[in-house]
Amino acid sequence: MNGIDDNRLKETRAKLKELLVTGLELEDVTPDEIADDEALFGEGLGLDSLDAVEIVVILERHFGLKIKDMSTGRKAFQSIDTLAKYVCDNTPSKED
Amino acid sequence: MMSSQLKGMNIAGMGVVFTGGRGLASLDTSLRQGFAPPQMSKSTALKGSIPAYRVPEHILKDKSVLKGFRRADRFCRMAVLAAWDAVQDSGVIFEAGSSSLGIIMASALGPHSTTFGFLDNVIDYGDNNVSPKLFSHSVHNTATFYIAKVLDSRGPCTTLTQFAFSFHEALIAAEAWLAEGRCDYVLVGGVDETHTVMEHISAQKLRIANDGRIRQFDFSETPIAAPGEGAVFFLVTRQPTDKPHCRFASASTFDTKEIAKRPDIRMVDADGMAGSESPYRGLDWRDVYAAGYSPIFGSTMIGTGFHCAAAALMLKGQLRYACPIKDNPHGLRLCERTEPASIERIECVRFNCLGKKASVVLTR
Repeated sequence: MNGIDDNRLKETRAKLKELLVTGLELEDVTPDEIADDEALFGEGLGLDSLDAVEIVVILERHFGLKIKDMSTGRKAFQSIDTLAKYVCDNTPSKED
Repeated sequence: MMSSQLKGMNIAGMGVVFTGGRGLASLDTSLRQGFAPPQMSKSTALKGSIPAYRVPEHILKDKSVLKGFRRADRFCRMAVLAAWDAVQDSGVIFEAGSSSLGIIMASALGPHSTTFGFLDNVIDYGDNNVSPKLFSHSVHNTATFYIAKVLDSRGPCTTLTQFAFSFHEALIAAEAWLAEGRCDYVLVGGVDETHTVMEHISAQKLRIANDGRIRQFDFSETPIAAPGEGAVFFLVTRQPTDKPHCRFASASTFDTKEIAKRPDIRMVDADGMAGSESPYRGLDWRDVYAAGYSPIFGSTMIGTGFHCAAAALMLKGQLRYACPIKDNPHGLRLCERTEPASIERIECVRFNCLGKKASVVLTR
């Protein structure tokens, strides 16, 4: 797990799902129904470019993270899994 | 002075969303039932409650029309539902991508809950960290985008705001578009909402009718209001239509003259929103029925739009609706009962805070 604590990753995934459902005003889907590896854009959750910018804002407000370039965002925004790993990799854990 | 003497526009269809429900049947029912007190709306700005004729949330969740509208705010939802219903009511079918339909929306304050939410974001998070959704929805014309989207229309669309006379100006613009041949039909209407800002304005600038009883015939220098919200749309055209509701015969703003032909009924938009209502006393009330239905939908700058919808039902159905509040200190000839009547012409009058008049005349 590249040194990331499993529990922390799990908590981050859950928090991100909650933030996406409320922050993006997703309809007909609950946080529990979003699979960890489900694609966020296109065929998966069906998010669009405006949602991508909204996620950038969510990450900055809730995790203090700035997505500065497109290639970072493209990798991180693939799924809840990749997003959670990006958050954990770039923010200090409670123990730090 | 802006005024127009219309050649006349047929009203091919109508749609309404208001505190009493959605659709013409709901409006007719509310007009027949008469006064129903508004709900008390908790106001964070006032740290208390304020009476408000708010549109029930469940009405704004019709997914058959609002599919894929997750980002749309209440303002846009009200607008889309009323506009959609006006087209459905007409029976007119527009081809996908048609440019024969224009859209003109009137609003005094626009989607102000979203607009101020956007400004709050700037204060709370800085201008680099504002929600893009709030930004994109904070502009007045977003609602017409949603209407055009749901109808798959490629015709012209715009939003007009002229405070108390927004709806009147929208009608005048609609007539101009039809006269120019820019489109064959225009979906013209008004939308306004109540929210924290409106509640603040009401509490600071207006006197509030705590019982919701807007006294439209007091013509008081210090009138009382009970904020309302909703959307009302008319599909208008110069073309013959199968079963038009009636016609918009004229619309004028900043006009001081009385209309040439006397109306059978004059509806007053005196709802406490525009300061002194004493100018209504100066109208010639001889042999004219007086009516006012603001307590059905609340005090709102686009109230003339709702009054026009009520007038259209009266002209088509040839009946007078009883006024919901019948306080009548000036001894006007009020519509006291809901009853059949022979009606050819109805005038809807509104004065603004400067005492300037705007009117709309509807005929059979």
